[in-house]
Amino acid sequence: MKFIHIADVHLGAQPDAGPLYSENRQQELWNTFEHVIHICEEEQMDLLLIAGDLFHRQPLLRELKEVDHLFSTMTRTKVALIAGNHDYIRRDSYYRTFEWSDNVHPLFGEELEYADFPGLDTAVYGFSYHSREIREPRYDGITSGRVEPIEILLAHGGDQKHIPIDIRALSSSGFDYIALGHIHKPRAMEKDRIIYAGALEPVDRNDTGPHGYIRGEITESGVRTRWIPCACREYVHLELPVEQSDTDGSVRERIRKCILEKGNQNIYKITLYGKRDADISFDIKRIAGLGNILEAVDETSPAYDLRRLLEENRDNLLGKYIARFAGCEEGSPEYEALCEGVDALLASRG
Amino acid sequence: MVIRELYIKNFGKFTERHFYLEDGVQVISGENEFGKSTLHAFIRAMLFGLERGRGRAAAKDTFTRCEPWENPGYYAGVMRFTCGGRNFRLERNFARSVQRASLVCEDDGEELSLEHGDLDMLLGGMSPGLFDSTVSVGQLQAQPGQELYEALENRAVNYFETGSGEIDIASAFRLLREKQRSAEREVREQEAAREAEQDRIRMECQYLEEDMRTLQDEYAEKKIHLEKLRAQEGAGSGDMPEKSRLSVREAAGAGGAGIPGPGKLILMGTAGMLAGAAGFLWSLFLKSSAVPMLSPEPFAGISAAIAAAGLLLLAAGIAGTVRGKSRGVKEEAAGKKAQPKPGDVQMQDEERRLQGEMDHIRSAWKEKEIRCANLREQCEEQEDSDTLKNLYRRQQALALAEETLKKTAAEMGDWTSGVLVRRASEIFSAVTDGAYRWIRIDGDRHLSVWDGARSIPADRLSRGTVEQLYLAVRLAAADILLEEPVPLLLDDVFAFYDDKRLESALKWLSSQEKQVIIFTCHKREEEIVKRFVYS
Repeated sequence: MKFIHIADVHLGAQPDAGPLYSENRQQELWNTFEHVIHICEEEQMDLLLIAGDLFHRQPLLRELKEVDHLFSTMTRTKVALIAGNHDYIRRDSYYRTFEWSDNVHPLFGEELEYADFPGLDTAVYGFSYHSREIREPRYDGITSGRVEPIEILLAHGGDQKHIPIDIRALSSSGFDYIALGHIHKPRAMEKDRIIYAGALEPVDRNDTGPHGYIRGEITESGVRTRWIPCACREYVHLELPVEQSDTDGSVRERIRKCILEKGNQNIYKITLYGKRDADISFDIKRIAGLGNILEAVDETSPAYDLRRLLEENRDNLLGKYIARFAGCEEGSPEYEALCEGVDALLASRG
Repeated sequence: MVIRELYIKNFGKFTERHFYLEDGVQVISGENEFGKSTLHAFIRAMLFGLERGRGRAAAKDTFTRCEPWENPGYYAGVMRFTCGGRNFRLERNFARSVQRASLVCEDDGEELSLEHGDLDMLLGGMSPGLFDSTVSVGQLQAQPGQELYEALENRAVNYFETGSGEIDIASAFRLLREKQRSAEREVREQEAAREAEQDRIRMECQYLEEDMRTLQDEYAEKKIHLEKLRAQEGAGSGDMPEKSRLSVREAAGAGGAGIPGPGKLILMGTAGMLAGAAGFLWSLFLKSSAVPMLSPEPFAGISAAIAAAGLLLLAAGIAGTVRGKSRGVKEEAAGKKAQPKPGDVQMQDEERRLQGEMDHIRSAWKEKEIRCANLREQCEEQEDSDTLKNLYRRQQALALAEETLKKTAAEMGDWTSGVLVRRASEIFSAVTDGAYRWIRIDGDRHLSVWDGARSIPADRLSRGTVEQLYLAVRLAAADILLEEPVPLLLDDVFAFYDDKRLESALKWLSSQEKQVIIFTCHKREEEIVKRFVYS
């Protein structure tokens, strides 16, 4: 039995993409989803497992029609899906009334249910969110019903507000494979068995790193899975250490080089940190204008030798000012205040 | 520290000149153009070196001003001084290409290193800024548009609050406030951008809501229409319960079967007794024939019959079964041409059509409603960008910096001004020969002096007295702020002093155990000094 496991597709989301991509980015989520459907068809997958949050919000009817049409193009693959916290089954949700194609088996109930695929010797279990949050650890007591030789659980959640998950409890639940969703970073909680597929495409600027889906096969000898990257872009948080020798221009040059190295298609958030020459300031707007940059943030502080300044100015305002901030940590608002004051006092010396 | 000798190799107008100095008050007098300012600049250059300015500023800097008039490639000098009981020889070469300095202890020939701060140590860590604001005294200069006493007050307050003549606290605050303003500007820009985005979404919501209202109205209209249809249907078939629509239709169909064919309509028309039920059925038929279903062959007779039916219909309308205003008329007109057919089929079609339209409206409305709710969610979820968070933090930091600086300055003021004011008062009292006893600084940072009976604000003092006050403040600052006694350089500061005050001032200066170098273009300083030194 061959399957593909995806999660958190977030169709309909408008990911933050800065001025460059905002128009296309929304479409790209659909494109990648379509790509997965094509792969299911090409490789004649038996099952497509969708572990929640197929949609970013309540699906529109036309969106459901689009998705169902894509499902219906698959000649072999059957689809099992649950609704997550984002596309939870609201009172007026179209999920409640939509008529899916024959190969689609939604598990939209509030309680655990299963879809039986006797031809595949497989049963897929799951339940859906009927509210935005579920704080009870509802997966903890679940066990497989042993209706078919292969038993799969679709589960969505894993944080405090969205069904806290105890991996050990899941591990002893008796399922052969547990397809997890909700956490956007792909991660195997138990090798070849309990896996977060991660978001199919990064949806939020904090979804850094590569994204894709799980391709698996269950045979008599067990389960084998492989994570396959397929997102067309990554969000990259570029944390650039700044040195005292750096200037505005040199930093821009380094950023440009980094972007070239890490890929032009990616979307960057730049954070400058470290100690800069006290006379240098960085033109953040100009840096953000380099292209493919969602945001640039300057968290550097001027490289003052505070101990020396304190020593030399013990009896005057500068020294007393520095002494007032004794013990404040670098990076804290107090430290920033300290640097600003020192800067103003030193500048006033002309 | 006592300067023993200034050996000017080549500096400004001087070439190969030696000036020998003693401890105590030294007067260097000369006529205008003698080179007093050059000497003053030479001492400063020996102590701190000569930095070459950059760009346009270079044209007016000390380096350029003091560049030797002849042979500028040779630009150098030597200063010999005593410090802590040891003798030193400081030599500097200022020329552009070969800037160099050496410091040798003449007692043991030890070579000291300027790079390692040996000279700084001898000077007690005095920076050029501190030198300029304490021991190197010129005449009090006011900024353009500033009263002299204001310049004095600013200076005095600065000494008191910063404990240093170098830090200009007012300009530090100005700088902090400028930064705050620029941060605020950026925050506003960012917030406006975010607001614009929110507005865009809200606007879309608004459009959707308008669409939804329109759809709702349309729906309501259609519903009324449908209900009317059903009511009429119900009436025509003997008040069948609305619930069982199918049976209503069947009943209507049965009723229709009993109605005579179109050919006999004229007869029936003349037969007034038919009015009731038949007329009503007719009206239903007319309504449904709003859907074009017209026969190509109009029969005059039939038309007449329809006209009669129309009259009946009108009567029915008056009776209260109502029909939509203009529409009724239009339908009536259309009805005149219509082929009479059993009304019930068309009535069912009409009902079905209406129902279909209503379903369509309902789903269009729901689609919009969900889209609208999604947009509202999106609106609520919008978070501050990191840039904005960073800016907020910066604003906080700047506010904290200003607040802390204020507190520190106030504390500092309490501490230094006590010491400083006391010392300055002593000096001022000595210089004015006891005419004034106290200097006071009030909460608004205004200076006043106390003459034993009255408090006189600084703005009422004469030029000479203001100068004396200024000297007192600076000398007090030099006393308190400098770790090592450094020679005082007084450049033409006594021009406004009368003889009596000058004498008192010089007397006080000579009583200090300190080298004082006075540059002047008058003879009287030298004479007075000679008088009490030799007396």
